[in-house]
Amino acid sequence: MVVIVLDNGAGTAKVGYSTDKQPRVIPNCVTKAKNVRTRIFIGDQIDECKDLSGLYYLLPFQKGYLVNWEVEKQVWDHMFGKDMLQVDFNEASIIMTEPYFNFRSIQEAMNEILFEEYQFKSVLRTNASYLSQYKKNQDNSQNPLCTLVLDSGYSFSHIVPYLKGKKLAEAIKRVHVGGKLLTNHLKEVISYRQLMVMDETYVINQLKEDVCYVSTQFMKDMEIARKKGSENTVMRDYVLPDYTHITRGYVRPIEETTGKAQGNEQIIRMNNERFAIPELLFHPSDVGIHEMGIAEALMLSVESTSKEMQPHLLGNILLTGGNCYLPGFEERFYMAVRSMAPTEFDISMTLPKNPVTYAWEGGVQLANDKDFEKMLVTREQFEEYGHNICLEKFDV
Amino acid sequence: MADKRESGRVKELQQRRILDEPARRRRQRKALEALEQDNFQDDPHADLKMSKKAPKFEESIEIGNIGQISSAKKKKKNRTEYFKYRLKKSFAALIEEEQLLSTDPPNYFSASTPPSKFPERHFCAVCGFPSSYICVSCGSRYCSVKCLGTHQDTRCLKWTA
Repeated sequence: MVVIVLDNGAGTAKVGYSTDKQPRVIPNCVTKAKNVRTRIFIGDQIDECKDLSGLYYLLPFQKGYLVNWEVEKQVWDHMFGKDMLQVDFNEASIIMTEPYFNFRSIQEAMNEILFEEYQFKSVLRTNASYLSQYKKNQDNSQNPLCTLVLDSGYSFSHIVPYLKGKKLAEAIKRVHVGGKLLTNHLKEVISYRQLMVMDETYVINQLKEDVCYVSTQFMKDMEIARKKGSENTVMRDYVLPDYTHITRGYVRPIEETTGKAQGNEQIIRMNNERFAIPELLFHPSDVGIHEMGIAEALMLSVESTSKEMQPHLLGNILLTGGNCYLPGFEERFYMAVRSMAPTEFDISMTLPKNPVTYAWEGGVQLANDKDFEKMLVTREQFEEYGHNICLEKFDV
Repeated sequence: MADKRESGRVKELQQRRILDEPARRRRQRKALEALEQDNFQDDPHADLKMSKKAPKFEESIEIGNIGQISSAKKKKKNRTEYFKYRLKKSFAALIEEEQLLSTDPPNYFSASTPPSKFPERHFCAVCGFPSSYICVSCGSRYCSVKCLGTHQDTRCLKWTA
């Protein structure tokens, strides 16, 4: 059986055959470049673009939900088409992920597009965290009862508890802070304090990934960032790309951190921004979002489950999503949860080697499960029973 | 003569415009909406006019099959148009629809988190360090006289909503 696994994230889509070792991680958007006026860049075609300044994004997702199908279809056509996977739709099944509490009309549109437009042989729609916890359980010989998944992505972060592979929908919690918000906030802060970079989403996102970190001693780091000269160990100079001589931005080594630009290059001084930006994940109220941080939301989620389950959930926390790449994330998250959880419970966290593709890898393992075929809805079934059979079979 | 005797500081205070609570909230909301924006700039290709009639490179036109091709193409086009029409829903519309359906929890709304039980922290709008003071006019935070000066010169009431 040919199975395609597509973890369709709002930031990047992770896609590949279930026989592949690694998925292709491609930006789930269509991009227009300021200086290339003859074409648009679909998904990973952006790698062909030499000048990445002032990129204009067309995103299929809004606040984490698929609303712009025109753009999404272009990206999927490119992905499934001759440039990439060369899918034979009549023979192929697909595992497709979607957000939690996806809206009914989006789900129906998804069914129609997969079955009628592309004509896949069979489809499984699921949540990314389902695949993650499935992989976690498969890889772990002890097979724990419960898994608590943190899925911190581009649009928002979710806490999703699972009991024996079944998600507890009533205990799912959402925090409206994700990678997009962090990048936009960083853009705004730099534009006000130093250099106008509001148009440079791509560059600033790279800057965020290169120099931002999660502080494990926030107030102390603030004090360090106030200091001058070599006592300030937080300060970094980031050299911006100009796309003629410098093709990618980079952090200057600490010895050479002077705050002065050399030659024609442009630099951005990163001081308290380095850790104050990711801090929003833990304190959304810092920018006036009246919500809990992810650690507090995790405790809220755990407390809304039954007493017997709570130690099992806290004992098996799985961290997934791109924000988990931030240095110090796991340590800080552990500290924050530990400080709020009852002392008699052990807390154990797992940060996969690649938190972005972990769900995709889970999808690959699921495709080899002996019960996998029973989970699918075939095109014949869809034609016979319509949307109802998908509602019955898919737990999303 | 008595009316001429007045304090410069008091006079300045009276002239100062102070944003009321709703205006401050509006500002705050706008700032948060800006954090969700996809792009700050306008579409750089907006002024480009693509000619739709010109054949694309990947299309091959075989004489004799023209009728077939165009009908197949038309069908495909209709289908795409249908999707465009049927599926065009903004996020706000989706939320509204979900509210109307009013399904029992758990649903989208039950997953949202309430405000944190920890007190809010405050940071200087200019330099980002912890702040203890509030700008009288607009309610922004600042930490020192220097930052207040910068704030008043750049942001305070410059783009008042």
